[in-house]
This record gives sequence, structure tokens and C-alpha cells, in this order.
Amino acid sequence: MAAIQAVLNVINGVIQTALHEINDVRAALNNFYQSVTWPVELIRQARIEVQQMMSQYRNLMASILRMNLESATLPIPQALETLIRDHRVDNFSGLAQAFGNAYRTIPLPTDASPEDRAVADIDDALTLDNLKLLKATDDATDLELQAADSIENAAAQAAPGSTPFLTAAAAASSIRSQALAQKMLAAELRQEAARMAHGNELRKHGATFTAQLRGVLVNLLQHN
Amino acid sequence: MKTRMLSILRRSAAWARNHKLRTAALVLVLVAFMPHAGNGQFLDPCCAILAAGLTTISNTLGNVVGGNLNSILSIEQSISNFEQQVVWPVNLINQARALVGNLQGTFNQIQGLSQISVNSATLPESRQLEQNLLSHDPNQIAQTTAAYDALYGTVPAETDASAQVRDLIDMTDAAAQTAMKRAIEIDALADLELEAAGRINQSVQNAAPGSAPIVEAQAGAWLIRANAYTQAATADLMRLRAVDLADSSAELKMGASNTANLRQGLINLLEHN
Repeated sequence: MAAIQAVLNVINGVIQTALHEINDVRAALNNFYQSVTWPVELIRQARIEVQQMMSQYRNLMASILRMNLESATLPIPQALETLIRDHRVDNFSGLAQAFGNAYRTIPLPTDASPEDRAVADIDDALTLDNLKLLKATDDATDLELQAADSIENAAAQAAPGSTPFLTAAAAASSIRSQALAQKMLAAELRQEAARMAHGNELRKHGATFTAQLRGVLVNLLQHN
Repeated sequence: MKTRMLSILRRSAAWARNHKLRTAALVLVLVAFMPHAGNGQFLDPCCAILAAGLTTISNTLGNVVGGNLNSILSIEQSISNFEQQVVWPVNLINQARALVGNLQGTFNQIQGLSQISVNSATLPESRQLEQNLLSHDPNQIAQTTAAYDALYGTVPAETDASAQVRDLIDMTDAAAQTAMKRAIEIDALADLELEAAGRINQSVQNAAPGSAPIVEAQAGAWLIRANAYTQAATADLMRLRAVDLADSSAELKMGASNTANLRQGLINLLEHN
């Protein structure tokens, strides 16, 4: 009898208390998950907010970016302006042709010194390089915007457990975007450096001409 | 064996017929001592109490332990359903992975665009410099100065220009060359960043919801690095423009100085006449 009572005491005491406590903890955890960590209502609201922002901003911003900015009025500049803003990378030869039409080609060796021809050629080359790079970058920008739209579309339907994939993909996309911005800055550095080098080359030429002129004058005075 | 048994039985039957009284007494004794079903070692009242006790234990286990375990099971099922349907729904996780896979195609296109050749120079010296500037190869930075000097010339000799002009020319050349070298570095860094971004994207495709935040953290670190490189490039551009501005200012100052010298020279000439 005593043994049976002892077993009953264990069941009604220790085991029952422990089970009640486990039950309470799991119930509290369940409640915490549903009301604090992942409240269904807030998840729903976040998805709605994403959708509202998509409908409020996406088309508006796309239409701003698509606005026609072309301003040239004559045929040759118009052709060049269209080519430099068309976001295409399969018509570089057409761009070079249109650039030559608008800005003229390198003078013939009989019409300019080798130094002037070389400087004009590098100026034109770096300008064309940048115009080509910008056409490619415009195309890449379009693709980046498509990627951003896709990620945002997915965010509007995502669950808390699927969003880290989207966040990581967005971060990887941002790295790419930064890399492209850096390439544009590098191109800008090249262009600015070439512009300064051009000015400096004229200064060097000026010094050379001055020295030559001085020599000619000295010779002239000596002969008189 | 069988014959022997039959013989024994026949002899026993004959004995019983001859000794009826003794046979009856033997049967009584055998019946009295015949083994029969018993109640074990305990007496019946004790067994009844034991049975009642075990029934109570069984009922208590059913109510107390079983009831509570059922309650816990119900909560666990609720948590499990919530996690599988709201927090980590497998279909949405697979959709996110699929999107990352699709984005990889877009990103490959972007990487392809960044590698398109844009070379445009036509004359030998300008082609040499352009090739160096667009090389994306930091190992070619050592050749930049030679290509630059071949195209733009070097600092004039002391006999051909004033010290001030030579300093200006040297400083401007230095700033331009450094910017060109930096542009090669930045191109190379940007290529590596694009490569890293591709690898991170690949990692995301193979990640689980629990490991994706690790990839996310790495991507965040790379983004900081990329921002830093962008800042470095912007800083170089600003430095170049600062030197350019200073150069314009120096031109102005030299012009003023030359004008003053010319004026003084004219005054001296007039005074001597």
C-alpha cells in the first residue's frame, strides 16, 4: 500500500508539476512567437506596405528616368545625341562615325604636328571610351533596376524565413552597383587626367616655342 | 514398449478387481492430494487491494501524465504549424532561391557589359597609352609613365622654362598620371568585386534559411568594402580637380606677375630714353 501511494505521490507531485511547467513554457514560447517575434498581422502589414510603395513609386520613378532629354536641333548632333543615349552596346562603330561627323577626325599628318595629332587622338579616344562605357552602364543600370523590381516583388510575398535570401541577393546586387559606379569614376579620372595632361602639353609646347623663338631672336641679333 | 505397457495395465486392472476396497481408498487419497489452480502466494483480500492500487496508478497516469502530454503535444503541433506555414514556408523559401538563381543570369549580363572593349584610339602613341589605361591590370601601372611621357612629353629643360613653370608642369603631370594609375587600380578592384558578388550570389542559392544570414553578413561586409573603394575613387577625382583648380589659379598669378614685370620693364625702358 505504501509503495503504491509513493508512486501516486510522484505522479501527482513531481511529474505533474514538471509537465505543467513544460506546458506553460511551450505555451509562452508559442505566444511569444506569434505575438512578438513573428506576429502574423505585422507580417501581413509589411507585405502590404511593400505593395503600396511599389504602386506609389515604381512607375513614377521609371517614367522620370524615361523622360526624353534629347535637345539637339541639327541632324548631325541629333544623330550623335541619340546614339550616346540609346543604352545599346551593339552600335559602337555607328557611335564612332557619328562622333567623327560632329567633332571631325584627326588632322592629316600634313595639317598638324605629330604631337598635336597624338593629343587630339587620345582626347577623342578617351571621350569615345567614356561614351561607350556610359552606353554599357546605362544598359547595366536598366538591368539593375529590373533586379531591384524582382527583389521587391519577392519581398511583397516573402515570409520571415525566406527574406534573408532576398536581403543577401540585394546586398550582392549593391556590391555590383558599387563596382559599376567605381568603373564610371575610373573613367571620369582618366578623362579629367587627360584634360589636364592636354593643358600641360600646351604649356610644354609653349615653353618649347619660347625657347625656339629666343634662339631665333638671339641668332638674328648676333647676325645684325 | 507398447506390449509392456499393455501388460502392466492388464495386471493393474486384475489387481483392482481383486482388491475393490483398497482401490477405493487409493482413489480417495489421490483425489485429496490432486494438484489444482491456486491464488498465488498472497491471500485474496491483498490481491484486491493491489488491483485497485494499480488501477488508480493507471488512471492517474492517464489523467495527469497523458492529459498534460496531450496538451504539450497540442502546443508543439501549433508551434510546428506556425513555423512551417508562417515563418519558414518551404514553398516561399524555394521561390526566394529560384529568384536568386534568376538574378544570377541578370548579373552575368551586367558583368558582360562591364567587360566590353571600348578602345578607340587610332595612332600608335595614343593607342599605347589607351591600352595601358584600359588594361584593368595593376601590373601594367609600371608602364603608365613611359606611355604618358611618349604622348604628352616630359618636363621642359631648365633652359626652356622658368622654375615656376617647370614646377607647375611637373605637378600637373604627376596628378594626371596618378589619376590614370588609380583608374587602372579601381578597374581591377571593381572586377574583383563583381567576381565576389557572383560568388556570394552562388552561396545564397545553396543556403538554408539558417545559413543565409551568414552569407548576408558577408555581403554586408563586401558592400562596406565597395563603398570604401568608391570613396577612394571619389577622393582621387576630387584631388585631381583640386590640383586643376590650383593650376588655373597659378596661371592667373603668373599672368599677374608677368604683367608687373612687363610694366616695370617698360618703365625702365622709358626712364632710360
